[in-house]
This record gives sequence, C-alpha cells and structure tokens, in this order.
Amino acid sequence: MIPDVSQQGASAHTPPPANPQAPVVYFQGVSKTYGRIHALSNITLGLSGGVTGILGMNGAGKSTLFKLLMGKLRPSSGEVKLFGVNPWKNPAPYARVGFVPEHEKMHDWMTALDFVSTFARLHGMTRDEATDEAMRVLEFVGLGEVANKEIGRFSKGMRQRTKIAHALVNDPDLIILDEPLQGCDPLARTTIMNVIRELGKMGRTVLVSSHILSEIERITEQIIILHHGKLVALGNLHAIRERLDQIPHTIRLVGTDARALAKDILGHPAVYGLSFPNDHELLIQTYHFGELHAELPGLIVNNGHDVSEIDNPDDDLESLLNYLTGGSS
Amino acid sequence: MSRDNSSFSLWKGVDRKAMAVAEFTMKQQRKRLSTWVIFGVGFAAMAILTMFYIDGMVRDYDPIDNDGDSIDTDGDGYPNGQEIVYGTDIYNENSHPGLLNPSVEPDDPSLWIDEDDFDWDALEAGSHGYDDDGDCRTDARTDSQKDSNNNGIPCDVRMVNALYGDGIAIEGDTNVDEDPDDAAYARESIHRASILALGKFGFVFLIGIFVPLFMATGLIRNEMTSGTMHFMLAKPIARTEVFLYRMLGFLALAWPYVTVLLLLEVIVFGLAGPSEGFFRLQDLGVWFSIWLAALLAILVYGMLFCMLGVMWKHGIILSLPFAAWELGMILTTLGAPDASILRFSVIGWAMNIVDAGAALTWTDTPLMIEMGMWFDSGASESLQGAEALQIFASTPGLGLGALATIVVSVIVLLFQAASCWFLGGVLFKSKEIE
Repeated sequence: MIPDVSQQGASAHTPPPANPQAPVVYFQGVSKTYGRIHALSNITLGLSGGVTGILGMNGAGKSTLFKLLMGKLRPSSGEVKLFGVNPWKNPAPYARVGFVPEHEKMHDWMTALDFVSTFARLHGMTRDEATDEAMRVLEFVGLGEVANKEIGRFSKGMRQRTKIAHALVNDPDLIILDEPLQGCDPLARTTIMNVIRELGKMGRTVLVSSHILSEIERITEQIIILHHGKLVALGNLHAIRERLDQIPHTIRLVGTDARALAKDILGHPAVYGLSFPNDHELLIQTYHFGELHAELPGLIVNNGHDVSEIDNPDDDLESLLNYLTGGSS
Repeated sequence: MSRDNSSFSLWKGVDRKAMAVAEFTMKQQRKRLSTWVIFGVGFAAMAILTMFYIDGMVRDYDPIDNDGDSIDTDGDGYPNGQEIVYGTDIYNENSHPGLLNPSVEPDDPSLWIDEDDFDWDALEAGSHGYDDDGDCRTDARTDSQKDSNNNGIPCDVRMVNALYGDGIAIEGDTNVDEDPDDAAYARESIHRASILALGKFGFVFLIGIFVPLFMATGLIRNEMTSGTMHFMLAKPIARTEVFLYRMLGFLALAWPYVTVLLLLEVIVFGLAGPSEGFFRLQDLGVWFSIWLAALLAILVYGMLFCMLGVMWKHGIILSLPFAAWELGMILTTLGAPDASILRFSVIGWAMNIVDAGAALTWTDTPLMIEMGMWFDSGASESLQGAEALQIFASTPGLGLGALATIVVSVIVLLFQAASCWFLGGVLFKSKEIE
C-alpha cells in the first residue's frame, strides 16, 4: 500500500526552491477581505510536519486559507510563505505540494489514470514515468482496479480518492486536503482517513480541513479551529477537550428499556440529571463528560442492558466553538 | 534516471509540461460535442461557398457577340463582319461580297462571334492589340478610320499612363480586340475571384474568427469557472505557461482542421478550374498564401479571445465587437486596401498576405480586370466575371513589393499574437481563482 518513497523522490523531485529551514507553512498577520467581508482576519501560524486538522464551520475561512497557500488568492494584508516562498508570485514550491481542492467538478471524460498521469507530467515527468507513478498512487488510494475507468462513472468517494492520488503523485512534502471526506460513503471515509494517517507516519506535513469534529478526531490530535475567519484555537484536541469536559454535557442512549437503564446510571456521581424523551431514549446530563463516557460501556454491559446507540449530541464542533468563544458565536 | 540541473533538462521539463498540457487540451476539445459542431458548421459553410463556385464553372456561358457583327442587318446572307472586311454595305441587301469578283461564299454567322480576342501583352503603356478578324485592317477603311485613338499606329490599342492617379488609361482603335472569348474570360476570372472570395471570407474571416471565438475564448475561463483549473494550478507551472500551452493544444486541433479543409478546396478547385491539363496547378501560390493567412489569423484571434476570456467571465461578449470590427475591416480591404485604419486590425494584415500571394502568383490579374472593364461603356457592359474579380482582388495595401508585404505582415501578426499572450498572461497572473 505504501508508496516507495525513495523511488518516487528520484523521479518526481525538483530541487527545493527555498532555504530548507523555512517552515513549510507560514502565515504572518494574514487577512483576506472581500469588500467588507472578512474571510480571514489576522492569521499568524507556522507549521512543519505532522497531520493538522483545520476545523471550522462552513464559511469559517478554511478554503480561503488553503487558496492563499496555493497562490490562488492574494492576501489583502500580511505575508504567506510556502517553503519560504511567496506562493502568489512563484509556483516553484508546488513541486513539493499536493493539493486536493474542495471542488466537486473534475474532468469526467478522463480515466483516473489519464487524469493523474497528465497532471504528473506537469512535474516534469516523462509520459512513462508519469504513468508508473500514477498507477502507484492510484493503488495507494485503493483505485488500482478501476484506474482505466472514466472518472464520470465514479462514486463520490472514488472521485475524492482520485483527487488525492492526483495530489500525491509527486510524492509531496506537504499535502493539503480541503474537506476530503465530504459526501463520501463510510468505506471511502475509512480508506481516506487511513491514507492521511499513513502520510503522517511517513513524515509528511498534512493539512486536512473538515467541519465535523469526530472526523478530525479520528485522524489527528493537532488541530486549528477557525471561526468567522479568526483563529480561535491551535493545539492538541485533547487538551482543548479536557477543558470542555468541565461544562455541562448531554449523552444520549437508545435501548429497549430506557427506565431500567436509568435506574442503574442514576447512582453514578458524574450524573446530575436524566430525562426520557420516549420509552427507548435516555438523555443523561453530566459535568464530567470524559469520566462518564469512559465508564458508561462497562456499566451497561455489567447490568445486562440492551443499548443500540450511544452518542453525544453536544460533542460537536458547534458546542466546542460555543465554549471557545464564550457563547458569542 | 538522468535528471540533473543542467539547462538541457530544464528545457526538457518545460517541453514535457508543454506536451502534457497541449495533449490534455486537445483531448478535452476532442471530447466536446461543441468542437465537432463548430468544425461541421465550418465544413458546411465552405461546402456551400464551393457549390456556388462549381456552378460558376460547369454552367454554359453563351458566347456573346460583343460587337454585333454576326448579325446580318440587310438580310443578304452575309454577316456584317464579313461585309465590313470586304467593304460592302451592311444596310443594302444588294451589296455583299457574293457580288464581288471573285465571288465570296457567306460565312456561318458563328464564325463572327468571339472572333477578336485580346492581344494585350501586359498592362503597360504602349501599343497593344491585334485585329484578329480583319475588320479594322480592311482596305475599305481609310487610315484615319483605322487610327481612331490617334497614336499614329493603325488598328491597335493604346495604353497611356493615366493623367490622374497611377493607373493606365486604355484607348483602342475601333474594331480592335472588340469581341473576346466571353466564356473563357468568365471562367478564368470567376475562378480567380472565387478562390480569393473563399480564401478571404471563408478561410481567413469565417474559420479564422469563429473557430477561435468558440474554441479559444473558454480555454482558460471555462476551467476557472468550473474549478478544474485548481488541478493544473496546483502544479509547478506558471500561469503564462498554462496560457501558452493551452493555446498550443487548441492550435494542434484548429490548424490541422483548417489545413485539411483547405486541401479539399485545393483539390476541388484544381479539378474544376479552367486548365489545359487534368489539374490546374497555377493557383497553388495563392492557396499557400491563404493557408498562411488563415493559420496566423487563427493564432492571433485565438490568443486575443483567450485573453478576453481571462479578462471577463463573459469574454465572448467582449469578443463579438472585435469580430464585428474585423468584418468592417475586411470589407474595407476590398475597396480601400491601403486605408491606414487597417493597420489597427488583424484581418487587414492577413488580407495583405492573401493579396500579395495572389499578386505574385497571378501577375496578370490587373490586366484581366482592365480587359473586362474596358467594355464597360455606355453601349455595352463589362465582361462577365470582371466585376467579381475586381471586387475580390486587391493590390496589397502596404505600398511595398509583394514579398516584402508578406514578410512584414507575418511579423506584425506574430507580434500581435505575442502581445495578446503577454497581456493574457499578465491578466491571468493577477486573477484570483475561487
């Protein structure tokens, strides 16, 4: 599954355009405005190595951030550097970058192999090199079997994986994925998440955006949260969650007998309230979400309850943002 | 693998990118139905224009008795021309060559049609012409009757430099070169006029403008609008390169198309045109200049329209006024090929190439036009085909020699194309892509 790094490097790499000490991604006081709308305000950050999740609601500025990085947009103020080079002025750093745009539209008339190898040739590969590399990355994302089928006949998940293959064909040091999981079926999601984790293990810098907390959680711990164009949090997701634990939280259980379940759970010290929307559903209010969430499965199994579903409706990006912004969002 | 930092491998890298983008563009255009609709419409338009030409070639031109001497005015059985040669009275049935000694048999009237063709060497000042049928040279006429143009030479056509302008004034003695072979003249001049009309309006204007209008305007813009440009621009390639290589892909499709279409016309015109042999070869120079002009027109308009597409998402709306302007300019080239406003067009320069190519290949076109127009007096009309030839043939408008005109025009057109590329590249580089 894992591409042979040494071989790919030999054929695809052009010399790095800038000094090797420069951070891979560097934003210094970057703002992007459209008229009076602030798409991004005063973003400062530097990243090198590891998988970073960019979290934010729709319109929070995730794509704008990526497009600034990919030289598609010019910052209204501040400085963007990609491998130490201004990407608006110079496309050279893209030799080391793979970009998966959010756009759904692709060249549907091409086969996956054509698509990936055509753009591989823009890295200066010969036709044969490009075909070999394209085949390799298509296999890496699990599309080896359908490489010669037209993209127009692909499912959403296959299309996303084709886009990822296109981004990986030059064995990039930095991979940027804009909402790669959006609209994918569970199987494709798992494959794509595995691919991203794999890339992280290979020591690449990966930026992946999403508006779904649980998705990012399954990929990485290092996150950046954008909200209304502002950077509201940067760091370890667990550290951020620890603090989130201290605020009231709801856990929702669905089972055959909600009242019997309630009797056994009521005794737990972390629980401060229960409610029954109907006979099969139980809502638990807690101040110590982490603790309860960890002990809940044992509690259910030990008492022989039949529970088909556990989820935490509050544990999404919205609640997190609510907490981080002090409820002002 | 031998990839190092030498400039050779840099060039190879550029080369590979160019090939990749051009190939991609070609395949993309080939997959589009609209491409084939445009090509089909272009083919149909050329076919219709060609049918007019074929009709002009295969139809019978009745020989016209331009001087009326096949008529037997007095009904004595002798055509007037024959009576004039023998000095008998064309209004008196009791005066005819049959009464002379020795007696002369009457001619078939058809012998007195198309019997006095042109005998002009060139459109140059001096004495030209010869009285083939002898109705000027006849002893029955006095010397002054034989020299009505007063140049001291009986029965000739005198050409003098025109008093005003730089043309030639033509004054002929009566009854000299007065009944040419109308059908031959019509076929030759209509053939030439058709090649020029088809070349100028069909290939350079219609194909030259509309193929780029529909195919090149969206080369960059469509990808920007649909978002697929992100894939290409995520690669280490400058936007000016993308612009140029996309154009290469377009040209790789449009140039062979116009070439094949032109070759078909060369074959049709070669077979159908008036010729001694099986195939008419003497037009190849003109076809070559039409081909050159069409290729350059497609190049310049392609760059221009692609640039306008980058400039505005409804670039085709910006392109239409250009197309209208060019239509105005091509009409101007017909009447006033030396108008200086033509310098501010593309088509004006392309027309220079066609006109110069025609001037090099058919050196006698001005002479043909003058011959045909010479008949345009109060009494008779110009010869059939003369007006068409006069409309579509123009002298190259730069006031240079024909070859120099071609060289200068090619350079100017290439410069126009390069400017559009440069501007388009700058515009594209400054565009933010959502």
